Amino acid sequence: MLDARRGLPRPLCCFLLLFKIGLFTFGGGWSIVAQLQREFVDKRGWISKEDLLDIVSVGRSFPGIMVINIAVMFGYHVGGVPLGVIAAVGVAAPSVAVLSVVTVFYEQFRRNIYIARAMVGVRAAVVPIILSAAAGLRSIAIQEKVQYGIVLGGFLICLFLPINNILVVLLGAAAGLMLRGVRG
Amino acid sequence: MICLQLYWSYLKIGFCSFGGLSMIPFINQEMLAHHWMTMEQLSDIVAIAEMTPGSLGINCATFVGIQVAGLPGAIATTLGVMTPSLTVCMLACHFMVKFRQNRFLQNALYGVRPICIGMILAVAVPLGQANYFLNGAPLWPAVVIGAAAGALLLAKRSIPTVILAGALLGLVLVR
Repeated sequence: MLDARRGLPRPLCCFLLLFKIGLFTFGGGWSIVAQLQREFVDKRGWISKEDLLDIVSVGRSFPGIMVINIAVMFGYHVGGVPLGVIAAVGVAAPSVAVLSVVTVFYEQFRRNIYIARAMVGVRAAVVPIILSAAAGLRSIAIQEKVQYGIVLGGFLICLFLPINNILVVLLGAAAGLMLRGVRG
Repeated sequence: MICLQLYWSYLKIGFCSFGGLSMIPFINQEMLAHHWMTMEQLSDIVAIAEMTPGSLGINCATFVGIQVAGLPGAIATTLGVMTPSLTVCMLACHFMVKFRQNRFLQNALYGVRPICIGMILAVAVPLGQANYFLNGAPLWPAVVIGAAAGALLLAKRSIPTVILAGALLGLVLVR
């Protein structure tokens, strides 16, 4: 696998891995969380689970595309502004390349039965991938049982109330401050 | 000139939206106003964006950019839609790192982290409904593929492997 141990400089390694992650990010982009966790927390230890989860919560609640937000913040975290830019370009590049081809073959692509069948399979695989991301982050997000209540609350709010993600994150912050106190 | 217009348009879309399908209304407004896309093309691009890697925002930006002004157009639109991430989000990250050890922030994160897991779980529900059911009836091949993907993940297979396995099983099982 691509690795710094093979002598690749960090920016190049970052670009190539983010390119790979971008290539395999389907279904609204949540699988990027699972992929970053595997590549950079488990395999390489570039970033801690806490930091990744914080990036995800902030990236989710800022304007712009979530996947790009998360990539930029991840890159910035591991190597400042240059890596932030490299990470964003890396994760976006596969979409641009694939869509350029698709746009040219727009009509044929739309009607291709085999592509449609393969995509049913890909979409079916995306849900467990997203669940694995949530499961992987649990150990770091939850120190006390009461926090499962917050998980459940967030789940129900997002599922049933049409409210903005910023508000959800702010509600989480409010819950944290109420439980732990404003000054600790 | 047209590239500047495309950049500006997608810059607005980027700043107004919070990713995913919430971008549709903004994209719709801008595209129809400039006659860059028809309603039909817009619903097609949503389907195509779902079927190709990457987010709807980037995919849509590339599609429109190429149709309107070729590759330079695609670069302009993609940069436009990425600008909020490269500016606002980068700044936010800078401050987050700086105030890391702050007690107030720590206590807030005590609530933010679990709620973020709740958000991730909540995304899985509509996705599950859309991907495993068709008009209310279970789509058995998809259910089987989902279970197989879950098993592969538990066996610590890489995510690209799981996605490719899903695609292959889809070709074989789906009719």
